[in-house]
Amino acid sequence: MSTEGDLLHVITSDVISPQRRMVGRILVWGAAALVAVVVLLQLLQISGRIDIGFTNWRPALYAYCVWVAAFLAGQVIIRGEMGKRRLFVLPAVLFVASLTLFPLLFGLVIAFSDWNLASPDGRRFNGTANLVKMWNDPFYWNALGNMVRYSLAIVVEYAVAFGLALLLAANIRARKFFRVAFLMPLMLSPVAVSWMVGKSILEPRFGPIGRLIRDLGFPSPAFFTDPVIARLMIMMMDAWTYIPFMMIMLLAGLQAIPREVQEAAHVDGASGWRGFWEVTFPLMLPVSVTAILIRLIFKLKLADIVITVTSGGPGGATDTVTSFIYREYRDRSNVGYGTMLAMVYLVLIVIVMTVMMKVSERWTRPQT
Amino acid sequence: MKVEHYNAIVRAGLTRRRLLQSAAAAGGVAAMGGLPGAAAAQDADEAALRAQILQIPGVGMGSPTDADWRKVGELTLGSTKATVEEGEFAGVELSFMGLNNQNLHNFLFRGFLAPWEEYTGAKINWIDLAQADFNARLQQSIATGTVDFDMLEMGAPFEGDTAGRGLLDEMPDWVAEILDLDDLVGYLKPPVGTWDGKTYRVSIDGDCHTLSYRKDYFTDPTISAATGYSEVPDTYEAMDDWTVKMKGQTDPLTGLPAYGFLDPLKYQWGGFGFYFLADRVAPYAKVPGNAAWLFEPDTMKPMVNNPAWVQAIDDVFNLIKADAYPPDQINADANSTAFAQFLAGTGGALMWWGDVGAMARTSDTSVVGDVTGFGINPGATKLYDWTKAEWVEPEGGKNEAPYMAYLGWGIYVTSRVSGDEKKRKAAWSAAAHLGGKDLALWMSAYPSGFQPYRNSQFDYDEWAAAGYDRDYIADYLGSNLDSYNHPNAAVEPRIPGIFQYFSIFEDEMAKGVAGQYASAQETADAIAAAWEEITDQIGRESQIALYKASLGL
Repeated sequence: MSTEGDLLHVITSDVISPQRRMVGRILVWGAAALVAVVVLLQLLQISGRIDIGFTNWRPALYAYCVWVAAFLAGQVIIRGEMGKRRLFVLPAVLFVASLTLFPLLFGLVIAFSDWNLASPDGRRFNGTANLVKMWNDPFYWNALGNMVRYSLAIVVEYAVAFGLALLLAANIRARKFFRVAFLMPLMLSPVAVSWMVGKSILEPRFGPIGRLIRDLGFPSPAFFTDPVIARLMIMMMDAWTYIPFMMIMLLAGLQAIPREVQEAAHVDGASGWRGFWEVTFPLMLPVSVTAILIRLIFKLKLADIVITVTSGGPGGATDTVTSFIYREYRDRSNVGYGTMLAMVYLVLIVIVMTVMMKVSERWTRPQT
Repeated sequence: MKVEHYNAIVRAGLTRRRLLQSAAAAGGVAAMGGLPGAAAAQDADEAALRAQILQIPGVGMGSPTDADWRKVGELTLGSTKATVEEGEFAGVELSFMGLNNQNLHNFLFRGFLAPWEEYTGAKINWIDLAQADFNARLQQSIATGTVDFDMLEMGAPFEGDTAGRGLLDEMPDWVAEILDLDDLVGYLKPPVGTWDGKTYRVSIDGDCHTLSYRKDYFTDPTISAATGYSEVPDTYEAMDDWTVKMKGQTDPLTGLPAYGFLDPLKYQWGGFGFYFLADRVAPYAKVPGNAAWLFEPDTMKPMVNNPAWVQAIDDVFNLIKADAYPPDQINADANSTAFAQFLAGTGGALMWWGDVGAMARTSDTSVVGDVTGFGINPGATKLYDWTKAEWVEPEGGKNEAPYMAYLGWGIYVTSRVSGDEKKRKAAWSAAAHLGGKDLALWMSAYPSGFQPYRNSQFDYDEWAAAGYDRDYIADYLGSNLDSYNHPNAAVEPRIPGIFQYFSIFEDEMAKGVAGQYASAQETADAIAAAWEEITDQIGRESQIALYKASLGL
């Protein structure tokens, strides 16, 4: 046993012979070679050059599992005690990597393919054709444009949520009741909201709002005929569902602000508005930015309400990227193109979120 | 029979007296067994059997249960016992993929096939799917080469995806004999259910669109005087004229504004919205004696932008311009037009499946029960003959073309069993049991999710003997029968990816309806371009071959 090195964290410090290291390496690389051979055989089988009964990719999966086991064992054989320490995290790392990297790689392969499930020719690599198609697809650009509009509505949602949070943070009657009541829309499924509001309350003939508008003298109330009004209705339904989410985050932020700060501002002569604008609001910026960013992520996934209420209509006025991809993928079995649209949208979301986080980081940095 | 139909009929008021009448009729029929002659005796036995199964559990005695399904399955095992030895399929396991809609479909099949399993010794493993998942599951299984089912409940439109790719097993002659295929209604006879001259389908259901209309809109003196119509229009030209004239009238039932024909202007409905424009197109486009009306068979060139289709699209656009539809109609899908509008008293006529007819009588939300009439798809006074590329005057001054929307469900056997004769016989025996003539009668009389599909199911006396109201049944089924057997029925093509064409049609049509295209022609051209793209993606040559095969050319 060695008396040198990291004696605090290493119980035993093995002296590992070169032969043992060699055995470990052979094990790991041998298993890797097995994977390579099985994958190669699989590819030959697919291309029709050989027929060894590999009707699916399970042999490759089994070979990969063998490699994982050999790799883990190899850590112990090659590194001894240090290898055992790695075993605490390596299985989890490999598991997560397997469930993210492989699907991502397969997704990319599909995204660069012409794959219509109804085609007898199956999947065919088509290079950047899907990207070109996307570039010239007015449905996709229309949906992206709508996403920008929907996302801008977050500003209004934030203002409403902040107002409600201030209300609930104040000493009002039945505060607990209102906190629960205001949270209820968030507990509802957006599909339920779609049916309750979009399909029932806003039903132009028998819905209560339609009746009210008729009673007010407008003969033909219509909520989803005009593109702008239809888009506003979708925004309102989505806002109604998710404003409580922003509200509850902002409320938690408000309650975390020490009362002394507000009292000090009051003593210094700050009015209610100045107290809010120059003390409360700046202190709430980090929470606000977090709430807005999370809300933006939710917003970019908007699909259920649109699919249920308008199917993207009238004429694509309410379409979202996700609802468009849903139609392309599910109704039209256009797997290659649908996957490419989803991949591009993922990249766009990552870019937008990264930019937003960088900008918000600058905003919320304490000014010195 | 669809569940809602059954509930409607039951709520319509089956009395005990009716039930006793039916029992008496059954006894009478059974007494006929005493007639001399083997054939007569056989007929009498069959009649007695049909009367007997119609009493399980008895009309008005509540919805059938699994025990009832098993009883019916047991009683209709005759053809199985005649063709299969007891225990012959011991050790055979079959995988059956079907639906679980409304806890029917596969649930019924389980009950019907339980006695079959006991008798033959085979075992069936079930794959239950929601209807919304069906297309994706089927397409993915085919595309990834992972077909894991020996038997399949499937709509005929998917025959192109399956039979067209050699995934189905051809029906043996002995099964065809059991099924009495001549008894099928006209449109379900070949080429439907066949591919390249081979038969694959065991029909268990029928589907078509029929016209439902408000009779009171043609008898109400005020409305009739204003519109000048005292009979329901029998052409789309007249229907649209009537629809425009209905504007400003008041519904006598609800006191709200009355409207004429309802089109689901929110066409996007998972591909099914296509059917509702196709209803309008068929009489303009479907040339008698020529099955093709969607694509030109030799090139797969879409006809969707030819003058017939443009006329139908333009008809809709003109009604929009005339403000003849209810408010927000642009957000009304087909489901809304039937259940939220027509049954609730909005709209004077619409095209739909049989559900509207049955539910109109007694549905809790229906206010049009006593004022609804039925008919076949309206015709057109002009016909575009695509082979001549010109409008022609139809024979008799009117062209009719009822649209067989979706074609109904069937049972298919996949080619997974083709190499194992014992398993193959077992699969076909099970399919034949489900497609049997007597079982068909029971399925149309009780909640099953299926509509009549055999001529023998339209014997109204048999229904009356079982306890149903004869007038009601004649009214409800008559329009279906007339459509099914119409000589110029427009039959849905069964090519791969057919619902992809329908889906993109909906997207482009929605843009046209929203005024994003300058004209009906421009809308139709956009649809045609999208259809061309789909055809190229799937493979034009194979589509041409499969389209011709689906048309029986």
